[in-house]
Amino acid sequence: MRFALIGNPSVGKSMIFSQLTGLGVEVSNYPGTTVELQRGNTCFQREIIELVDLPGVYSLDGSSEEENLVRRFLEQKDTDAVIVVLNATRLERNLYLLLQVAEYGLPMVVVLNMADEAVKEGLEIDPGPLRDLLGIDVIPTAASQGKNIDQIIPAALAAPRPSAIEIPYDHHIEAAIRSLEKMFGTDRKESIRALLGFGDNPELLEAARTIADEIESRHRMTVAQIIAANRHNFAHEIAGLTIKEKAHLPKTDLDRILTRVFPGIPIMLGILVGMLLVVFITGSFLEEVIVEFFDVFLLQPFLALGLPPLVEELGKSLLLALQAGFGIAFPYVFLFYIIISILEDSGYMTRAAFLADNAMHRVGMHGGAVIPLTLAFGCNVPAIMSIRLLSSRRERVIASFLVTMVPCSARSVIIAGIVAGFVGIGAAFSVYAIVFVLILITGLFLSRVTPGERFGMIMEMAPLRRPVPKLVMKKAWLRLSEFLFIAMPLLLVGSVVLGLLEFFGVMGAFEQLVEPYTMALLGLPGYSATALVFGILRKEMAFETLAILAGTANLGAVLSSLQLYIFAVVTVLFVPCLATITVLLREVGSKITLAITVYTVALGLLVGSLLFHILPLVM
Amino acid sequence: MLSSTVEDYLEAILTITENGRQSATSQEIAAALGVEKATVDASLASLVEEGYLERVSDDAVRLTENGSAVASQVARKHRVLQCFLTEMLGVDAERASKEACTLEHGISDETIDRLSTYMDDAQTAPGRHMGRCRRGQGTCTLLDCKEGDTARVAMIQGPRRNRRLLDLGIFPGEVVQIRRKLPNLSIVVRVKGCDIAISPEIATSIIVESCP
Repeated sequence: MRFALIGNPSVGKSMIFSQLTGLGVEVSNYPGTTVELQRGNTCFQREIIELVDLPGVYSLDGSSEEENLVRRFLEQKDTDAVIVVLNATRLERNLYLLLQVAEYGLPMVVVLNMADEAVKEGLEIDPGPLRDLLGIDVIPTAASQGKNIDQIIPAALAAPRPSAIEIPYDHHIEAAIRSLEKMFGTDRKESIRALLGFGDNPELLEAARTIADEIESRHRMTVAQIIAANRHNFAHEIAGLTIKEKAHLPKTDLDRILTRVFPGIPIMLGILVGMLLVVFITGSFLEEVIVEFFDVFLLQPFLALGLPPLVEELGKSLLLALQAGFGIAFPYVFLFYIIISILEDSGYMTRAAFLADNAMHRVGMHGGAVIPLTLAFGCNVPAIMSIRLLSSRRERVIASFLVTMVPCSARSVIIAGIVAGFVGIGAAFSVYAIVFVLILITGLFLSRVTPGERFGMIMEMAPLRRPVPKLVMKKAWLRLSEFLFIAMPLLLVGSVVLGLLEFFGVMGAFEQLVEPYTMALLGLPGYSATALVFGILRKEMAFETLAILAGTANLGAVLSSLQLYIFAVVTVLFVPCLATITVLLREVGSKITLAITVYTVALGLLVGSLLFHILPLVM
Repeated sequence: MLSSTVEDYLEAILTITENGRQSATSQEIAAALGVEKATVDASLASLVEEGYLERVSDDAVRLTENGSAVASQVARKHRVLQCFLTEMLGVDAERASKEACTLEHGISDETIDRLSTYMDDAQTAPGRHMGRCRRGQGTCTLLDCKEGDTARVAMIQGPRRNRRLLDLGIFPGEVVQIRRKLPNLSIVVRVKGCDIAISPEIATSIIVESCP
């Protein structure tokens, strides 16, 4: 048995999916979270049922990646039933998609989600008329409270039928459907798709094109517009039967302040700076506690054991790696993810996108790019994956450059640990300032030279919601666990390899080899080069490695403030980490990935050496 | 009656009745065309006979379905020609309007279609902005509306590029409300109970029915 969940973006599909399967899926309050098929299993009466969570789409007729994916999935009919998830507070717009899905003639069940929110908005829902019209089961649910979710699977199992509903199209379109049916024997759905230019029979498409041209010249509207208008109008009728506005409840309209230039933009900047400050201050405090704990309770007792040198070196490397990993994961990564999850769940992200639309145009993208750029503060990997929500290749290329330059939490660790810790918090913010200016310059430059079409933003503003603490923590935890499972093993292996190389003196040779160059270019000792190289595995490893190689966590004692500052700037700009390179390869191809890698290395070394040669003159 | 005279009458009546009015009086038509009221009365009688118009009262007429089809086709020819003359050839607006009035009767439907497509292509080409011309003749885009205004969408340019607008419920005939308009012209519109943020260059391709 296989069921597929389909629906508009942010209707709670992923939440229902994770409640049914027990699997963690990232749920976000903006379009484009699910870009791939998520599969999971659930058990019902000792039968295994596979659930597929399809990406959120507004329509099946568009040409975006998600829409193509969902369309292909439905065309293959590779599912026993489709579970259409609707948002009761935005029923009309959601029914537009439902009507399209119904044309595919697959067995269906309808889930009317967010029924609780609809009631709060003063709406009265009566699923009866919808059930009668569609001829299928309609289940009102409230996924955020887990209400009625248990009824979905039984309903989908109880021999669901395809919906009998038929969209009444304009009479010209209906005539075209009949002609195509007569000529090619196509069914209603195939004829409509052919009129819209979809299909694989060239003769059918040719005939449909001719008819479509005819209709277009009479209506002064494209066939796509006529069909969309017919569907919307029908959806409007059905919504009118299902939902009654019982009382017009006055709502506090936060958008009055959030989406105006003033105070909207100061609020946005405040949130950004506040996010960094909170992570810095709380993060460094928590990190100190964790590092201290490891030192006192694990590291010192272990060293006191007096084991043979090789074993001691290995054990020490492992413990240091664990210490570094936990010291970063909880204070920095987790905190970032909590804040980003709050921003996402509250619906604020789309407000920021709207406000920044104009600024983003200047760097060659549109407002939607704010989302990947903010996600990048947590980790570049999901940020790169989310650049798919930008519609053109041109924008994705520009975004991939800029996203890789945004200091992710691992790089914030370096800024916080090295610069804020040993140089000062003002200096730490100046590193961000340098990076932001470079991002801006890069964007201005790329928007001029990158070929391709420009697209503007058409984005649904997610409804403002109070984030549910439990869900925020769950999401932050989910993302953190990804970090722990991917980063920790790398960190452990890297640390052991480093320990062994150190033990056998390989490191020393390498360092002596590069020391003249690093000294001349950046004014940094040879072992910092090793740290930079390890930074490619995971960015924060540059910091840990530096501490290990320097032989002390008190870096201020062995390196000057200038050296630490330069090291931090170079590491922050230098090469994206291995995981980022891997997603870049997948998302934008090897050429762009190579270009990004070369560009960031060059930029890191250039800025580092400029700082090394200029800063002493002005300070 | 000459076909060009028929077209002039129908076009004039269309213009008078465009702003939601049901009918046009012979006085108004006479004023719009610059002819005697007696002439108008005679012509109206024959137009009613030919099925282009129907009488609402003794003195007022409105377009039949047939008449309105002819009128909007002529009006469109006029718009396209005037746009071509002013924007592409640089003829001054008054003269362009006069000459468009003459040319609109002789040009074929197909040529107008091709001319219109040609100009659409030229408009999307980089460096050319012909929005001003489209807005003559009382057409406005979403960007001409103020915060809080409601407007009915008349047409969307570049429909294939802007497919998502259709799917979000912004299509010809739908009423939208401007929820927010920033000084940099990014706007938020409310349609079907949802707020949609739109970049200025897309908002300017959404033509609304009547100017605020």
